[in-house]
Amino acid sequence: VLVLTRRANQSIMIGNDIVVTVLDVRGDQVRIGIRAPRSVTVHREEVYAELAKANQAAASPSAANLEQLRALIPPKP
Amino acid sequence: MPDEAMAEVHIAGGLVGFPTAERFTLVEWGGDGSPFSLMQPVDEQGPEFVVVPPTMFFPDYEPEVDDDSAERLGLSSADDALVLVIVTLGDTAKDATANLLGPLVMNRHTYEGAQVVLATDAWTTREPLFAAPSGSHVG
Repeated sequence: VLVLTRRANQSIMIGNDIVVTVLDVRGDQVRIGIRAPRSVTVHREEVYAELAKANQAAASPSAANLEQLRALIPPKP
Repeated sequence: MPDEAMAEVHIAGGLVGFPTAERFTLVEWGGDGSPFSLMQPVDEQGPEFVVVPPTMFFPDYEPEVDDDSAERLGLSSADDALVLVIVTLGDTAKDATANLLGPLVMNRHTYEGAQVVLATDAWTTREPLFAAPSGSHVG
């Protein structure tokens, strides 16, 4: 892991077009600004992990589960 | 009755955790009156997902799409957006949950889509789809 020391309002560059700026440091919280191309998605890591887990759990349900779901669909009124 | 293919969806960059899952065929599923659809991978190796429009299960749900995502998808108004949420079937389908934190938002004209991560704590990735049995209340 590359470790850099930065103060508020100082930045680091990742590649040519991603700028990460430390905006504010208060106690144990750090506010960070990220400027990146639209093609780069930025997530809080724990949210990313949560979504990856959710997608994994949802991926390719079994035929048996699908049949159970089919049985729960309300009949057409 | 045959399931009907509705559209081919392109999700640039794939779904979170499935970066290569970019191309899906959206197929009506479950027969007449079913709100559910399947997102079937165009590439046979890819994952398949059950999706549903959130409105009938979660009438209060109003995902706010960030400007960057809206621009990337070419959404100039809310009417351009088609929102679907991914369903996780539990041990039994009665335990099914929907991912309201990371909805699939697509342009209903181009079917260019993205899994948008909402900047909110109001919704989770596991919201129960079917209400608890009558008589049981939470809280």
